[in-house]
Formats: sequence, C-alpha cells, structure tokens
Amino acid sequence: MTVLYRCFLVSSVAAMLLGGCKEKPTQSTTNSTPQHSGSDSAGHQANPPVIEDNNIYADVDISPMDMSYFPSKYPQQKIADPKTPPPVMRVIYSRPHLQGRKLFEEILKYGQTWRLGANEATELDVFQPVTIGNKKLPVGRYTLYAIPKAGYWTIAVNNDLDLWGLKQDVSKDLLRVEVPVTYYNPVMEYFTMVFEKSDTGANLIIAWDDALVKLPITI
Amino acid sequence: MKKWLFLIACAIAGVHAANAQQWAPIDKSPLDQVYFPIDYPSLKVKGTKEPLRMRVIYSRPNKSNRQIFGSEIVPYGKVWRLGANEATELDLFTDAKIGGKKVPAGRYTLYALVNEKNWTFIINKETDTWGAFKYDAAKDVCRVTVPVERMDKPIESLTIDLEKAGTGVNLVAGWDTVSATLPFLF
Repeated sequence: MTVLYRCFLVSSVAAMLLGGCKEKPTQSTTNSTPQHSGSDSAGHQANPPVIEDNNIYADVDISPMDMSYFPSKYPQQKIADPKTPPPVMRVIYSRPHLQGRKLFEEILKYGQTWRLGANEATELDVFQPVTIGNKKLPVGRYTLYAIPKAGYWTIAVNNDLDLWGLKQDVSKDLLRVEVPVTYYNPVMEYFTMVFEKSDTGANLIIAWDDALVKLPITI
Repeated sequence: MKKWLFLIACAIAGVHAANAQQWAPIDKSPLDQVYFPIDYPSLKVKGTKEPLRMRVIYSRPNKSNRQIFGSEIVPYGKVWRLGANEATELDLFTDAKIGGKKVPAGRYTLYALVNEKNWTFIINKETDTWGAFKYDAAKDVCRVTVPVERMDKPIESLTIDLEKAGTGVNLVAGWDTVSATLPFLF
C-alpha cells in the first residue's frame, strides 16, 4: 500500500512538473491562500482523490468506515422530528471496494470467514431488543461476521468486541443463521450494508459486487 | 416455457440495469473511529491487558482548498458537530473526569463551540442525532474551554486523535491550521 501511495505521489509530482507551465495561470486565479501555492496545485484541477501528504495525525483509510441505522437515516429523521422514537439498531463497518477485482475468489473465498467489512470487526449496536434466527438479542453491542458459500451465507453474531476483524473467537458466538445469497443484483463497487423495513421488523441488506444477502431481524 | 422466457428477459434486463448502474458513491466525508488505547482492536487481538477507555466516532470532512474556521463552514461563536453528517459520538467505556466533572461510562455526543482563540468542547447526552442543528444545551453534561493552537501546515481532513497524557488521555482535534485539546482523566 505504501508503495502504491509513493508511486502516486511521485507520479503526481511528475505531472505537476510537466504540466507546471500550463497550470500556473489557472492556479493563481483559483488559489487565494498563499500557503497552498506549491504542493497540491496539479491535483485540484481534475478533482482527484485527496492525497493526505500533510496530515500529521492519521490518513483517511482506503476502506472508509460508515454507519447505517434502523430506522434508516435515523439521525436526520430525529432532527426533522424531535418526537421520533429511539433508534432500534445500527451497524458500524468499513467499506472495502472492488477496484477491478471479482468478489469471489479474488477477495472472498467460499467457506472462509469474513469480517463483513475491513479493518476492525463489524459492530452491531442494538438499542432495543431484537430477534435474529429465533434468538433474542438484548440491548448491547455485538460483532458480526460471515462465512459466505455459493448458495447461502452463514451470519454469526458474536460477543467479542472492539477487536480487529481477522480473528474470530467462535466460542463467543451468540447465534448463527444461514441466509440465501442472490446474484445478478446491481453491482456495488463499495461493500454496502443498510437496513430495510420488513413485515416483521427489518432486513439487514448486505451487498457487494452483484451478490446480495438479507438478514431478517424481528423487532 | 413462456415463464422461462420471461425470467430470462428479466435477467437480461437486470444485468443491463446493473451495467448502467452508477457505483454507490462513498461519502465525501467518510466516517472513522479512534480508540484509546490507540489501535485497541489490533492490540486486543495481540492480547493486550490495557483497559479500553474510550472511542470517538466521527466523519472527516476535507479542507478542499477552503478556509475552514471563521468562514461559513465553521463560523465563530456557533456550536459545531466537530465532524460531518451525524453528530460526533464519544463512547466512554469507563468513568472519566472531564474538566473536573465526573462523567459516567456511556455514549455521548461531542460538539465544539469554536472561536478564534479558544474552543469550548461540549459533552451532551442527546445521541444518534444529525449535526448540531437541534443542539440542546439543557442536555449538556459538561463544557470545557481550551485555547487553540496554530500549526504551520494545514491538515487536509479533520482529524481527532487520542494521546496518552500521564494517567489520562488528551483528545486532540485538528483541521486546517488549528488544533485544540480536551483532557480526560481516568
């Protein structure tokens, strides 16, 4: 990753040098803050990914984190109507992207445990008791992971919190459910998890590439 | 047979629609989380014995060549969500002392009232909300005012870092050329 990043830096510096003469006039018109004159001139014209060459604390991750509530967009709903009842649950997960790879065999392997995200283990926060696969989940924080297979995925809810996603302690599984997977869905470049309303509560939609899994949750 | 043809037609239409589909965009201000101890999830996998103290969940807007503080992005004298999108969340896993006040373990929202020379960090009880649009001072747990520090080099993405400070932890928020520090005691 560092190598890629270096290459990118080198190439963008090269581009800056090569295109320097062309860029200068436009740059002086767009740039009002003097401290910016040199470093990120080539970049901002073509709207490229942001290069974090000046962040002294921590770069933005290549698989950025995201969070989905049920009811969906709960925080927005809440400010629109302060009487909105409390949220039911949310997932906090990181969003890897395909970057030209095929999901199966290039990123995930059938039968191998996957953290349902990237980086830290994916977290399910339950604010009101829910039921998954006939098992009641009390209010609390949990982690989620999956074992994808060709026809169905096993989704596990686990009690081991705040840990990196590569090491699951199966003895701390609270429940496992098998849910069917469908293909030929709209292709998702970024791994995506959102809740949708169902007759009995909500489905957690898990989508990446053209594969899609729905985890039914009873409220 | 007709049924099959219909299904095949649907599948073709589906694939076609899939190809035409725009990739779901990633947020302009992606979410991030920072733990103390730093990188706790990795440390835990390696078997750390250090207690988990806190976590901040926040979105990270970019400077994108704009002036941030004192502009319309973060105006002076107004409560700011200290992030983007959802209000920034502070999770305390153990009780802490903030600005001399004991704050029990729990989930809170963290805001900042930004001025040119100082910031007031605000810890508030109303969680799972969007921005600071419905900020309610009646739900404040505590407020701490600290002086700002100026940096020579701007930080592109808003960054919240948790640093060890004696027996406590400093929450350092930095963006553009300004940073401010909120101390926690454990």
